[in-house]
Amino acid sequence: MRLTLLFAAFVVLGLAFESAVPHLVSFRALIPNLIIILVVDLGLRHHGVLPAMLAFAMGYATDALAGSHPGLNAFTMTMVFLVSYEISTRLMVANAMVGATVVFFGVIATALATVAFADGFNALSDTGSMLGGLALEAAISAIVAPFIFAMLAASKRMAGLPGRAARE
Amino acid sequence: MRRSFLWRNRVLLTSGALLIVSLHLISTGVHPGDLAARPESAFLEIISPIDAAFTRFSDGASSIVNDYLNLVHVREENAHLRNELARVKGDRARLVELEVENRHLGEMLELKDVLGANAVAANVIGSDATGLSRTLILASGSSDGLRPGMAVLANQGVVGKIIAISPHASRVLLIDDHNSALDGFDQRSRARGIVAGLVDDGLILKYADRSQDIRVGDSIVTSGLDGIFPRGLLVGTIKSVHRGGPGLFLGVRIEPAVDFRELEQVLIVTQPPPHLDDGAKD
Repeated sequence: MRLTLLFAAFVVLGLAFESAVPHLVSFRALIPNLIIILVVDLGLRHHGVLPAMLAFAMGYATDALAGSHPGLNAFTMTMVFLVSYEISTRLMVANAMVGATVVFFGVIATALATVAFADGFNALSDTGSMLGGLALEAAISAIVAPFIFAMLAASKRMAGLPGRAARE
Repeated sequence: MRRSFLWRNRVLLTSGALLIVSLHLISTGVHPGDLAARPESAFLEIISPIDAAFTRFSDGASSIVNDYLNLVHVREENAHLRNELARVKGDRARLVELEVENRHLGEMLELKDVLGANAVAANVIGSDATGLSRTLILASGSSDGLRPGMAVLANQGVVGKIIAISPHASRVLLIDDHNSALDGFDQRSRARGIVAGLVDDGLILKYADRSQDIRVGDSIVTSGLDGIFPRGLLVGTIKSVHRGGPGLFLGVRIEPAVDFRELEQVLIVTQPPPHLDDGAKD
């Protein structure tokens, strides 16, 4: 319950930031993808059914404020959670560096998956001009990720939640 | 043994099930009345006041910064003029802001009169959360009479249509989104086509026949045949026409009439005017 409430608060603030701020600044790529950072933290440090469902819910919440295909962000966020979870359990690492790397590739992969799902795989050939902005957004998200992980860890400590992965 | 397998793989199995649910949602779509649309509507309702607060805060912050910069500049003047200048500049800034707002609302009113349709104005409070689609969030929803599918306009031209709604907020799919399409025609040559958004950016006119006389600078307007947008509204102007290469159709790029990043207020057509229905039957 505490984990759900904590992530719900972060998701509401993150999505409000991501939807309000791009309307005020001219360059969208400068805004980090905060929801992917939260999902990667879930995948790396929280192993169970509830975190998987939270990742799906976070994606579905993103669908309420982004895109025109409900379920698309739910799908990509569940995939990001699954990849983070697999990295954490197979490689037995869950540090901020690994998290930042997963965030970097996660931002690019989810963007390309969104285009492919929404417009078909042929549309990927038209994404050349958006790759620069996408790489910048991914890099900024990766740079910001360790700070968000630290904020989450501090919030979890305050809420009495374990900060590390529960090994299976 | 079986229980042990399920327990050991519970995360993978749950994730797999959720991925299947997501794919089902993507493939079937979510309609406004569906049970699956309720969480989306509820979340939009939760987020919209925070978005509006962010926007108000940003406006306030920029006003404070402007006031501060004005004061720094004024300190270089003598003591007597400093206070007077600050007051005049403050008044002027407020007047300019009022003038801009007044002009926007006046233009909206003119557009509403021209349309002869029932329409409501709404403030823009946010944009697409991921940036991968082109959508806007409005501070008006079903309690203001808005419904999914309604046309959204600005004084410069067509903006988009409403795709999701909650009691006090709604989302607009912009016409330059890669999933958007509307029926339009060249105002000079009457050549018809489908105006669609592109993945990388911009607008194109699809299915314009090669024999059509379409030139750079021509205005593209709505035909009204899609039953959403009133006929004759400006969509944009032709930026380039590509006649080379294979294919049956012209490659036509359009410069949108509306600068979607600068939108502050929009007008939503809640009921099309009578002549639009006539046009749709043609």
